[in-house]
Amino acid sequence: MSWVSNIIAGLKSKNINVISYVPDVVTWKVLKELEADPFFTVIPVAREEESLGVAFGVYAAKGKAAVFMQSSGLGNSINALTTLAIPYSAPFLMFISLRGDLGEFNPGQVAGGKAVRPILDALGIQHYTLDREEKVEETIKGASELCFNGKEPLALLIPTILTGGKRGSF
Amino acid sequence: MDRSEGIKLILSRITNDLIVANLGPTTFDLHFLGDRPENLYSWGGMGLVSSIALGIAVTAPSRRVIALDGDGSLLMNLGSLATIARQSPSNLIHIVWDNQQWGETGGQPTHTAFNTDLSKIAEGAGIPNVSRTSTIEEFSTAFDLALSSEGPSCIVARIVEAGKADRPEEVEPNANLIRFRNSLD
Repeated sequence: MSWVSNIIAGLKSKNINVISYVPDVVTWKVLKELEADPFFTVIPVAREEESLGVAFGVYAAKGKAAVFMQSSGLGNSINALTTLAIPYSAPFLMFISLRGDLGEFNPGQVAGGKAVRPILDALGIQHYTLDREEKVEETIKGASELCFNGKEPLALLIPTILTGGKRGSF
Repeated sequence: MDRSEGIKLILSRITNDLIVANLGPTTFDLHFLGDRPENLYSWGGMGLVSSIALGIAVTAPSRRVIALDGDGSLLMNLGSLATIARQSPSNLIHIVWDNQQWGETGGQPTHTAFNTDLSKIAEGAGIPNVSRTSTIEEFSTAFDLALSSEGPSCIVARIVEAGKADRPEEVEPNANLIRFRNSLD
């Protein structure tokens, strides 16, 4: 799938080489490639907030990190954004795989999925949705410049129209 | 022993090692006892000091990284012990000041005041070198061992709560982060 290789190409082109994650079915398509690629240091965590702590530490040591999570994990991450990343001006990319999106089967995912953009807006975190495969790499490149030059975390949302969601199609 | 004795001992045995300090008393004490560019102070992110130290450790593998955590904070992020064990950075020392209370919020007893032993949790998580200490002599021995061992190491140091230093006059998280980053050059 070229959206997968486009994400990886975008990360590599901007030297974002530490990746911390809690997996889901969609992001695992990317993460398993990153795990197998010696360019990347990949750090699976137990809960999403940890991955933001790791990404903060990577920036403190002059590296560049991205985190991968499902939208349900954004709720677990808010304190690390409001009390750490934002007041310290510590940038990293957050790839958020959307649940409660087209094709969703589970009512338990809808409220959180719908709230992703309002939550990010309330926190003042810029977000872009990777809904066009041919623009994925370019969006990540631009987002990386904006994020690391602007010194703020930035979210890249992965919608099911790009990936087909958990089952790959609706 | 108390926290300031422990911090003084650490500062007397290291040169340019990186320190990440937990929010509240540990940050106040470290700032008061030995402010230096290699100190990263926490003004938020409760529970995350060990995760931050892990991120630093993998990004700066030639530097030793010392996380100064607290019992209340680590109880909020126990999964981090398993994450550190899985990653197993050899340059990471995780020290937990265990005063058995949430000191910043009125001294309410934490779980370690009852049946919880964080050193056993660290062992069970798979951290290779774990020590539990209750005197300054024991802490000194455990810290020397951690300095001379392949990490990661975890020292759970039982301390008496003897009060804390005043907080810095100006709280500048971003200035602290910039200074810390520059110290890596």
